[in-house]
Amino acid sequence: MKLRNVSKKLAFWLLAAAVVCPAIEAQTNKSAPQPMKLKVGDVAPDFKLHYFDGSDLKEVSLSQYRGKSNVVLAFYIFAFTGG
Amino acid sequence: MKAFQQNLKQLEAADTQVLGVSMDSAFSNKAFADQIGVTFPLLSDWGGDVSREYGIYVDQYKAARRVNFLIGKDGKIVEEQIDKEAIDPKKIVDACERKKVSR
Repeated sequence: MKLRNVSKKLAFWLLAAAVVCPAIEAQTNKSAPQPMKLKVGDVAPDFKLHYFDGSDLKEVSLSQYRGKSNVVLAFYIFAFTGG
Repeated sequence: MKAFQQNLKQLEAADTQVLGVSMDSAFSNKAFADQIGVTFPLLSDWGGDVSREYGIYVDQYKAARRVNFLIGKDGKIVEEQIDKEAIDPKKIVDACERKKVSR
């Protein structure tokens, strides 16, 4: 009789754990990196930016490559860091 | 950036222009490019407007996340690499190669 009670209790806690644990996991995953605003398949917003070629500031826009070549845009955090 | 420089020939052969973007000034980017031997343009997003438009500016750090976008000739995003993943551009280089083959 006593043994049955114990196994009932055990079953209850196992069930509770099965419900709670995935919920906790989902919560912790939420604090992981935020999803990207721009997804694969979206149109990349056009921009005009400058770079210095050693003597002049040159303007570059994304639209100038439209229909001509692919573009890799590599955003990096700060100059003089790795990657 | 060095990693893209190492793959630059391969990327150029696949009709791909590499552009680095950071929130540094154009001049410090040039100094950075010279120091690490980068020959493609490093654009200055001074003030972070473009980083914000691309949704990768993090208020908390007052800086942009490390993200690589591969944009096709039609202006659409083909591939993305985010944060740590973006340090090794292999996924992007491979995607360019695939596009080249599929043409």
